Amino acid sequence: MNATGIPLKEPAVSAAAGDMEQVERAYIDASTRVPVLMFYTSAIAWLILGTLLAGFVSWKLHSPDLLGDISFLTWGRVRPAHMNVMIYGWASMAGMGTAIWLMARLCRTVLRFPLLLVAGAAFWNLGVLVGVCAILLGDSTGYQWLEFPRYSAIILFVAYLLIASWAVLMFRYRRGEQIYITQWYLLGAFLWFPWLYAAGQLMLFVVPVQGVLQSAVGWWYANNLLFLWFGAIALGTAYYMIPKVIGRPVYSYHLATIGFWTYALFSSWTGMQRLVDGPFPAWMITASIAYSHLGLYAFFTRVIFGSMYYIVPRLVGREWRYASLIKLHFWASVYGIGLMTLMLLAGGFLQGADMQNPAFPFSDSIETALPYLRGRSLAGLLMAAAHFIFAYHFGLMLLGLGRTSTVPTFLNPVEAEPSGGH
Amino acid sequence: MKGLVPLFLGIFGTFAFSWVGLTVIPNWQIGHLNPESDEEGTDIYPQPQSGMFERGSHLYAANGCVYCHSEQVRADYAANDIERNWGKRRSAPVDYTFERPVFLGKMRMGQDLANIGARAPAQQESPAPGGAASPAASPGPSATSPAPVTSPSTRALPGAQSPAAQGATVSSPPPSNASSPATAPGKSPATSPAQSSPAVSSSPNATPPLGQRTSVASPPPSQMANATPGGSSPVASTAQTPGAPWPIQTEGLPPMYSAAWHHVHLYSPRSINFDSNMPTYRFLYEKRRIAGERSADALQLSSADAPPAGWEVVPTYDAKCLVAYLMALNQSHSLKGVRSVGGAPPAAPSTATPAQGASPGPTAAASPAAAKK
Repeated sequence: MNATGIPLKEPAVSAAAGDMEQVERAYIDASTRVPVLMFYTSAIAWLILGTLLAGFVSWKLHSPDLLGDISFLTWGRVRPAHMNVMIYGWASMAGMGTAIWLMARLCRTVLRFPLLLVAGAAFWNLGVLVGVCAILLGDSTGYQWLEFPRYSAIILFVAYLLIASWAVLMFRYRRGEQIYITQWYLLGAFLWFPWLYAAGQLMLFVVPVQGVLQSAVGWWYANNLLFLWFGAIALGTAYYMIPKVIGRPVYSYHLATIGFWTYALFSSWTGMQRLVDGPFPAWMITASIAYSHLGLYAFFTRVIFGSMYYIVPRLVGREWRYASLIKLHFWASVYGIGLMTLMLLAGGFLQGADMQNPAFPFSDSIETALPYLRGRSLAGLLMAAAHFIFAYHFGLMLLGLGRTSTVPTFLNPVEAEPSGGH
Repeated sequence: MKGLVPLFLGIFGTFAFSWVGLTVIPNWQIGHLNPESDEEGTDIYPQPQSGMFERGSHLYAANGCVYCHSEQVRADYAANDIERNWGKRRSAPVDYTFERPVFLGKMRMGQDLANIGARAPAQQESPAPGGAASPAASPGPSATSPAPVTSPSTRALPGAQSPAAQGATVSSPPPSNASSPATAPGKSPATSPAQSSPAVSSSPNATPPLGQRTSVASPPPSQMANATPGGSSPVASTAQTPGAPWPIQTEGLPPMYSAAWHHVHLYSPRSINFDSNMPTYRFLYEKRRIAGERSADALQLSSADAPPAGWEVVPTYDAKCLVAYLMALNQSHSLKGVRSVGGAPPAAPSTATPAQGASPGPTAAASPAAAKK
C-alpha cells in the first residue's frame, strides 16, 4: 500500500511533533493498516453476533419457553456462546488490534512480519467459530470462560502463539532505548495470556486437578483473564491515549512503574473471593454477573471503543463521518451499561436479601429478581443499539465513506456538514 | 525502563507467584484427598461414580445447568443453605473427590443441587411392592401412584401461591435430609452397591444430633420409623417431606425429586412450578407412538403437556443419564470434622400435626403429616 497516498493526521491538540516524526508515524500507521483492520473488522462482526446472542439470552431468562424445544438454542448453551463470543471474539480481537497498533507505534518501527498477524487473526477467528459452534451443539466443558472444547482451544492457542511471537519480535526490533509504560502492560499481557491459557487448559482438561481445586483453577483463570489480559491491555491503552488526547504527559513516570508492578502482583491474586465459605464456596448471587459486565464492558470495552475512534481514522485515511453517531454510541452505551449494572446489582442484592431468610421460598427470591432481569433486557437493548450504531459507522469508514477533513470529527467544534468527501 | 531483563523477569515472576500461590500450593495441600472410611475400612465415602453419572455430568455441563444451579452447601454461619434443607452439613472438599468436572456453581437462579439425590423419596427405584431395598414400602399401596401426593401448598394454579402458605410449608420441622436413612436404600442404580446398603447409610447413630433433634422437633413416628426400618407405623415410609421450600409438589405428578419427577420437571418445568424460569429440555425426550404397550419410562405429564392419545413421551438415553447424575448427587454421608446439623429451624412452630396420618396409604413422598397445618 502506498503510505504517502493516505492523509494521516494527528489531532489538533496533540503535542506538536516534528515533521520527521509525522512522516515516520504516517509510515508506521500505514504499515499496520491491514492487520489492525483485520482484527477490528473481525472483532466488530463478533460484537454484533454476541449482541444478538445476548438479547436472546436476556429474553429467554424471563420467557423461558421461547424456542425451548431446539437443543442448540437452549438457554444454557446460548449463554456461554454469548460470553465466549464477547470474550474471545470481540474483546480479545479488538484488544489485540489496538495492542498491535500501539506496539508498532511505540517501537517506532514499521510493522514487520505482517503475515504472522494475518495468519494469527485467521486462526483465531477459526478457533472462536469452532468453539462457539461446539458450545451450541452441546460440547461445552462447563467451566466459566473455558467452555470451548479442547480442539477449539488448540486452534486458539496456535493463533495466539503467532500473535505473541510477533509482539516479541517487534519488541526485539524496536528503535530507541525508551520503553514507554504502555509497552510494559502490552508485553505483560502478551506474555501472561499464553501461560494463563495453557495453565487453565492443562490443569482442568489435560491433567485435571482433583475435586474442588478445579473450581479454584477455573476462577483463577477467569479472574486473571479479566485483569492480566483485558485489564493490562486496557490500562496500557489508557496510558497512551489519555495523555495523547488531553495533550499532557503522564504526571509521574515513577508512579506509573510502581502502579504496573503493584497491579501485576496483586490483581493476579484476586478471584478467590468467589470461593468464600464452602468446600470453598462462593458468593453466588446475581451481583457476580454485574461484576463481569462492569469489568469487561464498562472499563475494557469502553477503552477499546475510544482507542478505535482514535486509531481507525489513521488507518483508513478518513475521519469519522458523523459526530452525532459517536455521541449517540457513547451515551447509549453509558446509559445501557449503567442501567444494566444498576439492575443486576439491585436484583442481586434483593435476591440475596431474600435468601437470607430461610422461610422465604427460593422460587420467590427469583420472582424478586425478575423485574430487574426485565430491566436488564431493556438496558441490553440500549447497548445493542449502541453496538449497531458503531458497527454501521465503522462500516462506513471501511468503505471509505468517512470525511476527508483535517480535523478529527469529534474534536471539531462546529460539526461541518458531511463535506461530500467521497 | 532500561533494563529489559528485570522487566521480563518481573512479568514472569509476578505471574508465577500467583500461579504457585493460588493453584500449585493448594494442589499440594488438598489436591490428593482420599475417601474417608471407618476403622474397619468399610463405609467408604465418597466412591467412584458410574458411567451414566459421568455422561450425565457432561450433559449437565453442555446444557448449562451450572449457570443457574450450585452444588455446594455453605456453612451455617455464612448462609442459610442448611436451614433451607439443601443439606445437613456444609460441603467439604472430599465430597468432590471423584467428580470431574466439579460444578460448584457461580450463582443461584435455581436451588442448590448438592443433595438433590438425597432428597428423593425412598421407594423411587422399587415401585413394585416387595422391593427388597425398601422394607418400609410395604404398608401402603404402590409408591408410584401419584394420587396420594398432596400437600396444602399444592400449586397447580398461580393464584395458589400465597407467601403465607409457603412460609408455613417451610417451617414444617422434619428436615428433608433427616430422611436420608430411608433414602439411601432406594438410591438410583447409578450409585455403587455399597452405598445402597442400609447398614452403610448414615444412620441416626452416626449423627446423634440429627436423630435427637428431629425426634424432638417433629412427629416422632415417622422419624423413629426411619431409624428402625421395620417399624409398623403407617407413615413409616416418610421419606421426603414437602417441607423443602421449592419446588412445590403438584398434584398428579410423581413424588418430588424422584427420577420420574425429574423427567417431568426437565420436560415441562412449569407444569410443576408455575413461575419457574427454568428452560425446558424437551430435546432430551422423544415423543413417539405407543407400540403395543405404554412404555414403563413414559412420562406422567399433566394435561397441557400430555401427548395425544396413542402417543407417549419417553426419555432418551441422555435424559436418563442426566437424571442418574442428579439422583446420585448426595452429600448426606457424615464426614469427620464436618459438623452435621439437624437442619430444622430452631424455633420451628409445631404446625405439623399428624392430621393426615390416617389417610390410607401415604407412602412415597406423601408424608402429608408433616406438611398439613
